Amino acid sequence: MKLSIQHVSKQYRGNVWALRDFTLDLRPGVLGLLGPNGAGKTTLMSILSTITRATQGRVLWNDIDLAHNPDAIRSVLGYLPQDFGVYPNLNAVEFLEYLAAVKGLDAATSSRRIDELLNLVNLNDVRKRPLGGYSGGMKQRIGIAQALLNDPQLLIVDEPTAGLDPEERVRFRNLLSELSGERVVILSTHIVSDVEATATDIALISGGTLVAHAAPEQLLQQVEGKVWEGIVPSNELQSIKRQYLISGTARRGDGVHVRMLAPSAPSGAQPLSPTLEDAYLFCLNTHRAGAAA
Amino acid sequence: MNARVLYHLVRADFLERVRRYSFLVTLAFAVYLGYCAVTGKIVVRLDEYRGVFNSAWVGCAMTLVASLFLSLIGFYIVKGSIQRDQDTRVGRILATTPMTKSFYTVAKMISNFAVLASMVAVMGIAAIIMQFLKAEDPHVHLWPLLSPLFLFALPSVAFTGAVAILFESIPGLRGGIGNVIYFFVWTALLAVPISSVDAGGTLKHVNYFSDFNGIVSIMGQMQQDLRAVAPDYTHGSSLTIGDTKTTKKFLWNGLRPTPALYLSRLTTLLAAVIIALIAALFFHRFDPAQEWRLTKSRTAPSPANAAKAVANGFANAPAPAATLASAANLTPLGKSKSTALVLPRTVAAELKLMLKGHRWWWYAVAAGLFIASAASPLEASRGGVAVVALLWPVLVWSQMGTREARFNTASLIFSSERSLVRQLPAVWIAGVIVAAATNGGLALRLLIAHDREGLLAWLACTLFIPSLALALGIWSGTSKVFEAVYTVWWYIGPAHHLPGLDFLGSSPESAEPIRYLIMAAILIAAAYAGRRSKLAYA
Repeated sequence: MKLSIQHVSKQYRGNVWALRDFTLDLRPGVLGLLGPNGAGKTTLMSILSTITRATQGRVLWNDIDLAHNPDAIRSVLGYLPQDFGVYPNLNAVEFLEYLAAVKGLDAATSSRRIDELLNLVNLNDVRKRPLGGYSGGMKQRIGIAQALLNDPQLLIVDEPTAGLDPEERVRFRNLLSELSGERVVILSTHIVSDVEATATDIALISGGTLVAHAAPEQLLQQVEGKVWEGIVPSNELQSIKRQYLISGTARRGDGVHVRMLAPSAPSGAQPLSPTLEDAYLFCLNTHRAGAAA
Repeated sequence: MNARVLYHLVRADFLERVRRYSFLVTLAFAVYLGYCAVTGKIVVRLDEYRGVFNSAWVGCAMTLVASLFLSLIGFYIVKGSIQRDQDTRVGRILATTPMTKSFYTVAKMISNFAVLASMVAVMGIAAIIMQFLKAEDPHVHLWPLLSPLFLFALPSVAFTGAVAILFESIPGLRGGIGNVIYFFVWTALLAVPISSVDAGGTLKHVNYFSDFNGIVSIMGQMQQDLRAVAPDYTHGSSLTIGDTKTTKKFLWNGLRPTPALYLSRLTTLLAAVIIALIAALFFHRFDPAQEWRLTKSRTAPSPANAAKAVANGFANAPAPAATLASAANLTPLGKSKSTALVLPRTVAAELKLMLKGHRWWWYAVAAGLFIASAASPLEASRGGVAVVALLWPVLVWSQMGTREARFNTASLIFSSERSLVRQLPAVWIAGVIVAAATNGGLALRLLIAHDREGLLAWLACTLFIPSLALALGIWSGTSKVFEAVYTVWWYIGPAHHLPGLDFLGSSPESAEPIRYLIMAAILIAAAYAGRRSKLAYA
């Protein structure tokens, strides 16, 4: 089971490049695709899910070129788009039955699968309620259920925790981890904590290019010994922000506790254990500085 | 609220519209109308007469074309501006401002007017070109050429734009039903001033104030002037499509506007503003609760059940994490996919989706029409009941090809395996089943009568309507186009047994099954090509 993205670029009208020469090989596991807004994550997801075509490059699923045989990927694909709709007059069961039919599942299989999935996403009690009356989080859970309908080998989820409450978010992270064993899962998000909890691999994307692809531990090693905490008066905060890359601030009785990234200890600062958010900011900042130079 | 706020509301809405590709199509339609007038495909005629193509005649002829067509088609072009604010969520932002409901509806009316006025402007340019091309009078006089457009076409499109806002504001008229009803409203509005025509077709008295698009006012003066110079002319005037058999010409010097005429046009403008203000009474101001209550009451839980649901905690609160199922409980599917019954299952799913949401009385009327057309004498069934039965499912067919865009499900469906050869045919077959079922009474009647030609015409109709719906839906992306085209076509063709346009074959004389079978095939090909062009990978 292998997904290979080879030198993929995507150009939109007006000479806007959303992706440039993007190359990545994926094996079973959860890839956390992290990047700021407008980095090209959704464009990449759309290409992988056959919704849009790459301007250059190719995508191979088990060595089959998506351009020659898109159904090779569609038959094993589960896709949760960032923005999707539902048919408001259908209830959850009817909507999933409809999509199961479109995906080519037989009646008996789809019936059993829908029961299991509604239980899984915690919508069993409202299974007969029209989707038009669902809250945003409930619709998102229906989206998660439909993505799992065909027991996909390739699961692509784009900003899946948007609209979920904290408990559902934790549940969804656990679900992704459980699902990752025998399939390729791509989790696209800008929420670092989602990736921190689930990803076996992380790809950082910015400006349409791949900034880094590594295991979380490797990314953390890059910022080992570069994260510090200092306490500064409120009126010096702006000055500190100009000098250092800040990954967090918290106001306390003794001043503002500033979490900053620096190659050596700023005056009076104490070393901290790095988090993935520190690594993310460090990589992006380094990439931007390199691009600007 | 002041003029500056109004200006920015109108400006933003207008710019949002004109920067869409659909606006280019709109302008192309205006150019086409102008072209039809220039090349004689649409002719203003007074029995055998027409006017010499001087500025007065050309200006008024173009005004008649603009007023007539834009008051009908324009409604479908501009309707949807409130819905757009709702879809884009801009409406909810506007709702939190001090803007009043009447201010909003009037601003929308002006924006509608601006869009349609730009079409009138295109037709004004076409009028100038027309006079040069016809070259019967080389002297172009701008005032007589363009003033009729200002005096008649602009108030007419303002009125149309206001009615569009009113329809969008009233819950029952907001959707497809409103699109169908507007055609009949428009027909009725045309008929009001025509009631002052005598049996021979002579305009006895023109009531300017009931003539919202000015057609009868203009033609009344044309008739009066022709009668003064041509004793052989008795009566009759028309705007004729595709018929240029006018053999005589007369010199017409143009309109003689009277104070009453000016006042009537001002009244039309005032009526447009009043209609926009009335629309404010029904406008929901993007209140989702009110929206839900007004449009989804049939599917909303009852207050008692809703309260129970909240009490049970199922409305929002998830179950405790300890009791939740795990992905490990999912049964692996393995190779359980079956290709044998995929198409029938997809057709059944599409059919269910198509019919879901209609209330019991919709089915009751459909069943009643079925029984009535099966039980009536053949002639009455074919020319009457079956014709009505063909209009009943118009809103079911109009969903075809547009649903994925309307409900934003395209990414879910088009990323599925073989969607082009599986889901698209399933939609079409489901549409054919609806056509066959709702008009099945006539088929039974024809079978009993052993009327093979009639059955062939029925079959052609049954295949043609869903094909038209699917092709128009896919290419336009909106249900409005089919709802408008089909209603007008149904009215002119089957309802009036007009040969060439009678796709039902409502009488043996007007039936042309082979033509409609061929058209169905072409439309299916067009639908396929349209859907294919929208998919990254076929």
